[in-house]
Amino acid sequence: MSDTTHSDAVFRPKPSLPPPPNTVGVVGWLRKNLFGGPIDTIFTVVGIWLIGTLLVTVYQYGIANAVWEANSYRECLDTVLPNGEKVGHSGACWAGVAVWMNQYIYGRYPDPEQWRVQLCLAILVLWLMPFWLPRVTAKIQTGLSAVLTFPFLAAHILLGGEAGSFLMLTSSLALALFVTVWLNVITSYAMNKSVGKLVVELTGMADKDDRLHKWVLLAGFAVVFLGALAYESSWDLVAVPTTDWGGLFLTLCISGIAIASAIPSGVILALGRRSKMPVIRVFCTMWIELFRSVPLITILFMAVTMMPLFLPVELNPDKLVMVIVAVCIFASAYMAEIVRGGLQAIPKGQYEAAQALGLNYWKVTTFIVMPQALKLMIPNIVGNFIGLLKDTTLVSIIGLYDILLMAKASGQDPNWLGLHAEPMLFAAGVFFIICFAMSKYSQHLERTIAGGYGRR
Amino acid sequence: MSMDTSSVDPTSGEYVASTMSDEVVIELVQVNKWYGEFHVLKDIALSVNKGERIVICGPSGSGKSTLIRCINRLEEHQAGDILVNGTALDTNVKNIDAIRRDVGMVFQSFNLFPHLTILENCTLAPIWVKGLPKAEAEKIAMQYLERVKIPEQAAKYPGQLSGGQQQRVAIARSLCMSPNIMLFDEPTSALDPEMISEVLDVMVGLAETGMTMLVVTHEMGFAKKVADRVIFMDQGEVVEQNTPDEFFNNPKSDRTKLFLSQILAH
Ligand SMILES: Nc1ncnc2c1ncn2[C@@H]1O[C@H](COP(=O)(O)OP(=O)(O)OP(=O)(O)O)[C@@H](O)[C@H]1O
Ligand SMILES: [Mg+2]
Repeated sequence: MSDTTHSDAVFRPKPSLPPPPNTVGVVGWLRKNLFGGPIDTIFTVVGIWLIGTLLVTVYQYGIANAVWEANSYRECLDTVLPNGEKVGHSGACWAGVAVWMNQYIYGRYPDPEQWRVQLCLAILVLWLMPFWLPRVTAKIQTGLSAVLTFPFLAAHILLGGEAGSFLMLTSSLALALFVTVWLNVITSYAMNKSVGKLVVELTGMADKDDRLHKWVLLAGFAVVFLGALAYESSWDLVAVPTTDWGGLFLTLCISGIAIASAIPSGVILALGRRSKMPVIRVFCTMWIELFRSVPLITILFMAVTMMPLFLPVELNPDKLVMVIVAVCIFASAYMAEIVRGGLQAIPKGQYEAAQALGLNYWKVTTFIVMPQALKLMIPNIVGNFIGLLKDTTLVSIIGLYDILLMAKASGQDPNWLGLHAEPMLFAAGVFFIICFAMSKYSQHLERTIAGGYGRR
Repeated sequence: MSMDTSSVDPTSGEYVASTMSDEVVIELVQVNKWYGEFHVLKDIALSVNKGERIVICGPSGSGKSTLIRCINRLEEHQAGDILVNGTALDTNVKNIDAIRRDVGMVFQSFNLFPHLTILENCTLAPIWVKGLPKAEAEKIAMQYLERVKIPEQAAKYPGQLSGGQQQRVAIARSLCMSPNIMLFDEPTSALDPEMISEVLDVMVGLAETGMTMLVVTHEMGFAKKVADRVIFMDQGEVVEQNTPDEFFNNPKSDRTKLFLSQILAH
């Protein structure tokens, strides 16, 4: 300051000095974070020793001493290591897991029919794919169609046999919607216009009234639907009763349906709980409080033991259906409270501004409140889904052969008697991968959507 | 932030000539309202002509916000009648909807929808309430965004705009519904001084188009420039109403005098 004010010397910045040694780079980071003082150093050393021992043990058990090929658990235990000793319990018997792998994934779903499970998965993935295709419009309709109708199509494919007329109609509707969704994807990419627009143009109605367009589109869809119906009627699939369903496939079936139904039912219950109409409010509040305050396992027991007593015999309710209904009810109550929390975070001014513009209750909810609330709730929702996925393992207690019960069952096979730890480790690994992926995806969503209001 | 408006004080200069007509668009008859035991509005009687510009002022808690929020039914009144464009505000939802479509409102805290772009903020109601096609709604929205001098921000989100810009968007958003009455609840109180004038400028422009306006504000310069009538409220009552000239130079009530001395002191 002092010498620049009275001289006309040009200002020159001082040259940058290098930072003090040992504050940057790897050495600096180590010094700062791991060896900052004597106590830090002790913790670091002990920590490294612990982690090292653990890794060595895991490596020894899981890889070095593990047995990958054997025909029985006995053979696993008796395998001789290079050092001349028997493996015994020092190494994992992955051979048993490999032999049982098919059951862990499909339960007792017959081998030659397992392509049906894979087909359903493929359809689901393809159905949801337009979400990630930027050029495709009508994303909400796509998602809704998948959530509402895919279960019927999957049920028809997976159950096989003679489909009742209800399942036949709903699953044909689902197939027709799926085909329409993909026709739309194809026209969007190939011709840059939606399938609806294309149909209108092809039939020469482009210059006609909007209302006429709707009829044309409806007629077009009816044709697709009838095609789907004819096609599905020609199916000749072997019947696979739900008692044969099992493994990871069953776990994902139950939790998938529960997850898909949780958001809509949670939103409806949460709105109902805030409703001005006493009957609706009391009903929703009771539903939420009742099912939130009993453990899932009791709801499951009620569903499989008590409900059949109340329902007419002709209905002959399937055990799996009862279980899915029970899990959905449980999930709806929890989701409702999460949604209510999200709704409460929306400032009153948002409602007022929307009302002042003339939007009615449903429009305020749909366009203003829910989009904002759902974005706020993403972490909670995904956390809830992860919990739900893990909770579905409780169905093993009431005798459904989900992945957990299958893992237990393999240890009771005469050939593999005593094989307990390995299947459980495998199941744990599967759950970890699925849950971790969900959690990562939620973080990604939070960054891209929730943080997406520009600067905020 | 655009600086083109803040260099000139929009509230100085000529009085904006009124285009007020004889037709009554808002009529309040003996309106009373309570919050629980608390009597917020006491026997309010007010009639507003088409094209009239009214400024409402008064100390904090006197019921100004409550009064104008009753006019579009954001608050419910318990006794008396409110008629807007000849339609009575009662429990009939159809009437409420009809009135809200004709009455725009601008809030102190802007209340833009943060998850929608500026353009979407402006087109949402025209599309979903009036049923306009999207393209037409966007064309209208751009016209109004130009009128409030921020067409270039259309693709941004509210969080990316300054307070003054947000409030101008809020005004444009209301205008997109082509209301014939506009309510303003302290539109400039949440703004930094340099942004106040850009918002007032837009409001003066709106007054020039002959819009019926009810404005709760402490901007006395604005009142002097555009108001046909200034209403002074205290403790839920209309204490005094007069032309701005009379109101500022020749206040009748002691409470008005006290209020004016406080507000003009700083
Ligand atoms: N929802 C409510 N419940 C109970 N009392 C309320 C409610 N809203 C407002 N009040 C009370 O009613 C009175 C009038 O409030 P109002 O917001 O109309 O005042 P105002 O004149 O707009 O004041 P300000 O200049 O501070 O905005 C205040 O005393 C306030 O505490
Ligand atoms: Mg107020």
